[in-house]
Amino acid sequence: MAQSVSDPLPPQGGGGRRAALFTPLKPVAPALRTTLGISCFVLFFLGWGIATYGGFVKPLFLASPGDSLKAGWALFTEFGFATDIAVTVWRVLAGFALAALVAVPLGILMGAFKPVEAFFEAFVSFARYLPASAFIPLLILWAGVGEMQKILVIFIGSVFQLIIMVAVIVSGIRTDLVEAAYTLGAKRDGVVRRVLLPASSPQIFEALRLVLGWAWTYVIVAELVGASRGIGHMIIDAQRFLDTGQMIFGIFVIGVIGLVTDLAFRTLNARLFPWAKSR
Amino acid sequence: MSKLSIRRVEKTFPGRPGSSGTTAATRALEPTSLEVADNDFITILGPSGCGKSTLLRIVAGLETPSAGEVLLDGQPVHGPGPDRGMVFQSYTLFPWLSVRDNVCFGLRERGVARAEQLAVADRFLAQVGLKGFENHYPAQLSGGMQQRTALARALANDPKMLLLDEPFGALDHQTREVMQELLLGIWEQHRKTVMFVTHDIDEAIFMASRVVVMSARPGRIKCDVPIELPHPRSYKVKTTPEFAAYKERLTEEIRVETIKTLSMEA
Repeated sequence: MAQSVSDPLPPQGGGGRRAALFTPLKPVAPALRTTLGISCFVLFFLGWGIATYGGFVKPLFLASPGDSLKAGWALFTEFGFATDIAVTVWRVLAGFALAALVAVPLGILMGAFKPVEAFFEAFVSFARYLPASAFIPLLILWAGVGEMQKILVIFIGSVFQLIIMVAVIVSGIRTDLVEAAYTLGAKRDGVVRRVLLPASSPQIFEALRLVLGWAWTYVIVAELVGASRGIGHMIIDAQRFLDTGQMIFGIFVIGVIGLVTDLAFRTLNARLFPWAKSR
Repeated sequence: MSKLSIRRVEKTFPGRPGSSGTTAATRALEPTSLEVADNDFITILGPSGCGKSTLLRIVAGLETPSAGEVLLDGQPVHGPGPDRGMVFQSYTLFPWLSVRDNVCFGLRERGVARAEQLAVADRFLAQVGLKGFENHYPAQLSGGMQQRTALARALANDPKMLLLDEPFGALDHQTREVMQELLLGIWEQHRKTVMFVTHDIDEAIFMASRVVVMSARPGRIKCDVPIELPHPRSYKVKTTPEFAAYKERLTEEIRVETIKTLSMEA
């Protein structure tokens, strides 16, 4: 319906089709969308291949796609890379879950109750700018070089961002929905639990997806220092032997895991909140 | 005794600090008194920005008056409650609940048993002509259907009063006329006390037993016109000479106020 209304007439004459394709905000067909998305990857590998196989870049600085793949195979078969991946994924999930467990309830309270917001907001805004990586030396002092230290880095990196995001989301819930609930007899508790909470859930879920992405950058930083396992540790190890193939493969694996979790989050979001889909 | 007593209620919105100094406080409502009898259908008619919505929101308990008081069945109103059901101009169905669960919302908050909730919801949904749409989500409904659901949701609570704030204002003309008939039909059947805010003169006359005209800002009651058209009314009443006479008089009253508003803005 909206499409037929907003579709402007394509300009007449030469280049009409291309002009129609690039009409601002006009959606593309699903098939074309997939094709375009894949072509970007193809182009990326093509450029990489030309740079390496064509001899424009020394293998010491940039391994070719084939060498990286071979290095990856060796990582899995000879160096137990699967364990590294498992360890890193576990750290991310543990730190992230801990952050979510603290941030989501606190953010909801801050969004719903303004005195709570007034109390925490200034401090959280300050804490949000403390770089998680700067805490690593301190955390090693406090928690040693074990799992707890890695998890805490991720926790510190994610929790404050998430608190602010959730608080803003809950504050932004339509006041007329809240008023409607009051005129239907809802009390304070009912408004928080049966209006603010469901109304903000899809956006909170979206915030979790974003922050999980950031958690991945913190885990690698945490693993570059004082770790004996993990993807980050493997990368720093590979650097010692100047094995760019392994380094590139390691980075690539993180990208793939990110892509998969992102997709999982989106799918789950659409499943859990079908009502929020058509906006 | 009156169902609803509005006694010298007034409202001033405080000024807000801005870039060019604090803005002046806005006087939205002059001291206003109004008595609404049981089973009455009152429409509040006025140009936009005349404070008619403010008055309704004070009755709903969503705004506190700067002075004066509102009594419902002799009891002072201190905040929103399920005894005054409200339908808003904006679509306020809960988008995460099905149509049926939206109508159940108030009953659920009151702790009514689920089986009874469903029975009540289905009864009112049938009444507003939404049988078969119980499991739809609000986003799947047209504007008119959403407002019908909102009406069923307000009625399901069995409120003492129904407050409607331009509920059909966002609908197209044809849908609006059908909705007016639907609401009037429900009122003729249940005889709830209704307070209905609108800026549409036809709408005000067609449904009301009394039209209260409000003046331009600051709002105050300008005149109170009883509408003596027979019930049940159908849309055909809109073309009768009696209707036209009411319309002529109210058009005159409103026109003066609208011109005042425009010259204030200029």
